[in-house]
Amino acid sequence: MTLAGYPPPVHLLGDLGMEAELTTETTARVRTRATSPVASADGGVRIGVLATLVDIVGGAIAARVLHPDWMATADLSIGLIGPPVGPWVEARGSVLRRGRTTLVIEALVVAVDEDGRDVVVDGRAPDPVAWASMTFAVLPAKDPTQAVPRTAELPARWAFRGGELASPILDALPVTVLDAAAGRVSVPVRPYLHNSFGAVQGGVIALLAEAAGAEALGAAQGRGASGMVVTDLQIAYLALGKVGPIVSSARVLATGTDGRAGAVVELRDAGADDRLTTVANVTAAPADLVARAVP
Amino acid sequence: MTTVGPDGEVATPAGDDPGVDRRRHVSDYFRLERWEVPPAGGDGPSAMGGRAPVDDHQRGPGGGLRTGGLLTSLDSLGGFTSGLAALPRWIVTTSLLATVSELAHVGPLRLRADVLRRGRNSVVTSLDVVDEGADDRHVAAALMTCAVLEPGAMTLEFDRPFALAMPGPPVDPVGPVEFFSIEPGEGPVTRLRLDDRLRNPWGILHGGAVAMLADEAACRAAASGLTGTDGGHGVAATDVVLHYLRPVRVGPVEARCTVLGTRAGRASVRVAIHDVGADDRLVTLGSVTVLAV
Repeated sequence: MTLAGYPPPVHLLGDLGMEAELTTETTARVRTRATSPVASADGGVRIGVLATLVDIVGGAIAARVLHPDWMATADLSIGLIGPPVGPWVEARGSVLRRGRTTLVIEALVVAVDEDGRDVVVDGRAPDPVAWASMTFAVLPAKDPTQAVPRTAELPARWAFRGGELASPILDALPVTVLDAAAGRVSVPVRPYLHNSFGAVQGGVIALLAEAAGAEALGAAQGRGASGMVVTDLQIAYLALGKVGPIVSSARVLATGTDGRAGAVVELRDAGADDRLTTVANVTAAPADLVARAVP
Repeated sequence: MTTVGPDGEVATPAGDDPGVDRRRHVSDYFRLERWEVPPAGGDGPSAMGGRAPVDDHQRGPGGGLRTGGLLTSLDSLGGFTSGLAALPRWIVTTSLLATVSELAHVGPLRLRADVLRRGRNSVVTSLDVVDEGADDRHVAAALMTCAVLEPGAMTLEFDRPFALAMPGPPVDPVGPVEFFSIEPGEGPVTRLRLDDRLRNPWGILHGGAVAMLADEAACRAAASGLTGTDGGHGVAATDVVLHYLRPVRVGPVEARCTVLGTRAGRASVRVAIHDVGADDRLVTLGSVTVLAV
């Protein structure tokens, strides 16, 4: 891996079995298996897991492009497009713009086979699984708060090795539902979920926003969280969640005629004076509306 | 007194006759009233409130203010809020992430912008929109990030707390596509002429005009692949992500769309916007979700 001592031997990224490759100076790809523990209500891969893929691929690119500076994810957006029809889902990222203070990256998530080739269905490539974009804030290396050691040379390929998820990913975090209608869910801050700054990893934040939005919207529609599929996440990362637990709340927006609805989810670090760490716009649809193919 | 606000808007105290043709400015086209909400304890950044009618000539196929127009007002209000928070430095919008959950609006719409984070290099603002004519139904939300810039030569001067009255209705209303000089057409490429009225005082294309172009272009690109619930072909934009990568200075401006996929009555469209006259450079990249309505 690229960071000394990160991630620790027992870590979510290891349990997701992510494999990464820097394909050029400004592009990379990261993949994970589409397994049942990471499945959403309709059998597709949870958007929060796809966001984790995207966060990792973006971070890999940013680490190379910005070296020796460091970076922090400022915002991340992802929208589901098609069903994941392969055994793996792969995020392919590339640089859109490198500025003085920010780096903007886009990523396409596609289905790939065991050999890493694009899945072909009926002689053609299926629709991509998702499209995503993100902004990284550049943290100058001279910044004294930057205390993350990094190896001088980044490997071209690496894998996060660990166990396997034996239970649904929200149970593995674990996410506790405190009040579904209010979108109040909670997750502890522990090394299993850390990023390289010792705070909750950005993908886990996305999973938490997804869970909170699904709970609130599912309750509002009387379907329950298991009856909703989150299709879009727009996340602003405001501060690191280092103490915990991280606790969410949600405001439900109007519901469209077909049952699609949105919510604004806020995440706070309860152990750090309820500091606001994240705000996310969450869009979800009834599971039967978006019915995706199960791989 | 006519002054220039922190995002380049012409500012006039509430109730005064502005004395200028406000319809010439992008944000005035949507008749956005704005007022500053100072912090309760006197410390911290101000919030901003806003209100805009939903004029018939601005309604889209979804029945309400079309999403590009809503984003224009959000960009104006959010930019203003961020600008106040960054003073004496300036700001420029770098990203706008918006979700519109209800396309049919009664109006007027009431907007609220709050600063979430004010950093050395950026300001992050949240925006909410409720439909006053529909019992304050919460119809949209957005997140905006602005980069903080060193001030240039232009002097910023305005009264605090800031207020801008709602401009009156236009005498000769035109639809958004015409107002924003978006050329007629269909298919994956849509063009906008960079007329001077679409520029802000810094001479660059208003972010709201970019949003309207993205909306119109994505809808045109997706229209042929979507069929409305009544068998028609009405389409409307909902979730929009825009990354403003570089300013638009020359024009014409071209939005090049790729329909990434269509499923369950919605299309995901990648929109790449180029300043054709500036070596065709990529100026904005984003995605638009288009629904059949």
